[in-house]
Amino acid sequence: MDYLIFSLSLMLIYIGLAQLLHVQFGLAGIPNFGVVGFWGIGLYGTGVLYVQFGVPLLLAIVVASVLCAALAYLLAHLILQRSGQAILAATLAFAAIVATLVITEKDLTGGVQGLGTIAFPLGDLDARNIVYLGILIVLVGALMWASARLRDSRLGRVLVAIRDNEELAASLGKDTAASKRTIFAITCGLMGVLGGLTAPLHQFLVPYLLAPSLTFAVWIALVLGGKGHNLGAVIGVFVTFGLFDILVETYAPVPAEQAILLPNFKLFCYGVLLVGIIMFRPTGLLGEDAPRVRRRSGSGRVRDIAETGAE
Amino acid sequence: MLIVDAIFIGLLEASPLILAAMGFTLIFYLNGFMNIAFAETITFGAYFAILFNVVLGLHFYLAVIPSMLLSGVMSVAVYLLVFRPALNRGVGPTEMIILSVGVSFMLRYGLILIVGPENLFLNEPSISYMQVLGLGATNLQLVALALVFIMAGILFWMIYYTGLGEQMRGLANNRELAMASGINPHATSVAIWFIAGCAGGMSGVFSGVFAQVTPYMGWNVILITMLVTIVAGVGSVRGAVVAAVVAGILTAFITLVTKPLYAEVALLLAFIGVLTYRGTRTA
Repeated sequence: MDYLIFSLSLMLIYIGLAQLLHVQFGLAGIPNFGVVGFWGIGLYGTGVLYVQFGVPLLLAIVVASVLCAALAYLLAHLILQRSGQAILAATLAFAAIVATLVITEKDLTGGVQGLGTIAFPLGDLDARNIVYLGILIVLVGALMWASARLRDSRLGRVLVAIRDNEELAASLGKDTAASKRTIFAITCGLMGVLGGLTAPLHQFLVPYLLAPSLTFAVWIALVLGGKGHNLGAVIGVFVTFGLFDILVETYAPVPAEQAILLPNFKLFCYGVLLVGIIMFRPTGLLGEDAPRVRRRSGSGRVRDIAETGAE
Repeated sequence: MLIVDAIFIGLLEASPLILAAMGFTLIFYLNGFMNIAFAETITFGAYFAILFNVVLGLHFYLAVIPSMLLSGVMSVAVYLLVFRPALNRGVGPTEMIILSVGVSFMLRYGLILIVGPENLFLNEPSISYMQVLGLGATNLQLVALALVFIMAGILFWMIYYTGLGEQMRGLANNRELAMASGINPHATSVAIWFIAGCAGGMSGVFSGVFAQVTPYMGWNVILITMLVTIVAGVGSVRGAVVAAVVAGILTAFITLVTKPLYAEVALLLAFIGVLTYRGTRTA
């Protein structure tokens, strides 16, 4: 039972990450292949602050996420106006830098020996696992609601315009570079928050957690579910992580000698699914949802960065 | 003296990287997307070498040739089965990369399911240490280096001085015009994917014999290969060779001065810096 709750909590983190990636790639067209790097800064930032400096957990998460957003903003300044392939390679490199620094800076991170332990919060509650899961559900739900709202907001429309034709959007007087940087920094900061929230789930942090496989798992889930659909992330994570990691690995009657091959089989299936979906249904299982009909009031009042940046 | 050491070690260590970068850049140039599944061409090259060298007992230097050719065949098969249909469907460049990640997963974990996740070792030819200009190296490293230079020379000649190279450059720059001029895009693409596959396979064989053969070996070098290729500029084979050599020497130099892991970080930071200031030449 405890293990199931742990898996479900982890699944919510994945959903959150995929949802943020939906905003970055599905809406703004930024191919961020450094998801694990930003998540990892949140994770290890929280861990280091909590274990080495005794900062309270909540504050540690906030500080680590702000740091993560600041680094993302810096990175955005450097590479976001380059081509998609350059952004992809640079973010991948960024994640590799984070993973390497976690191994080299032993004094802070414990290196390969690991960093621990981060006490589970809500210590005096009996059902604290379930309460934490509930908190995660609320937070990820809020994230999904916010990203649905973003899509219908002015900033959201500017982002979609940038994705489809950046020159055109710029020629209409939108400060496309600033919009992209802002949304990139915010979403990466939120990836950091999710990383910070993962820290008490794992309690003991090892550099292995920062392997690029997390990035690819999230990407596969998003592409599978539908990168342009607000529910694509949820469906994608259910089909990949939910189906394989929770249902198959926990409940399928697999003999022990084959069980070690199961993770490899899972990743093999991910690959097959991904190839199939891009070949036969490139918009994902759900396709692309049309933006909601514009209401005249409502979103009109929101003055956002794209609006103020316009000259 | 430190500089000379770094250049020497860097060249020796970079020889598989040079081959990988050349193969990778050919596909990037021709089809305009980064083929991450190229990592698996490298890995499979090493596993084909295991098949010929360890299982069938061929001498290492003899096993290089069939392994290389089989990698080329595999590369063509992947192109014909997956990438060509996808390109014909009009899948965009970023989606193509994601597709290639899928292909990469499929091949890598398919391989693990068949041969198992253990690390394997090639039967090395007799190793002897030699002195070259006062620096030590093994005969194997020197042979690898020589082969890399021969391969690089052949590729140069092929791309810049033969009909096939001209057709490839024509297709990459303006597909419609090239086809109107009577170039068969199908035949040219198959040839290029085959050559790229051979280069990748050979890269895998040499990185395998220098260390060990693991299912992740291709994956471990693909990031550096990608960055080298991007920094070099789309489809510039000359640039790819230069960037791979510079990356190798830089890594060797920083490794001599500090820790190896810092070399990796410095290299990646340098790449991000180059990407930032290189302007728009990266397609």
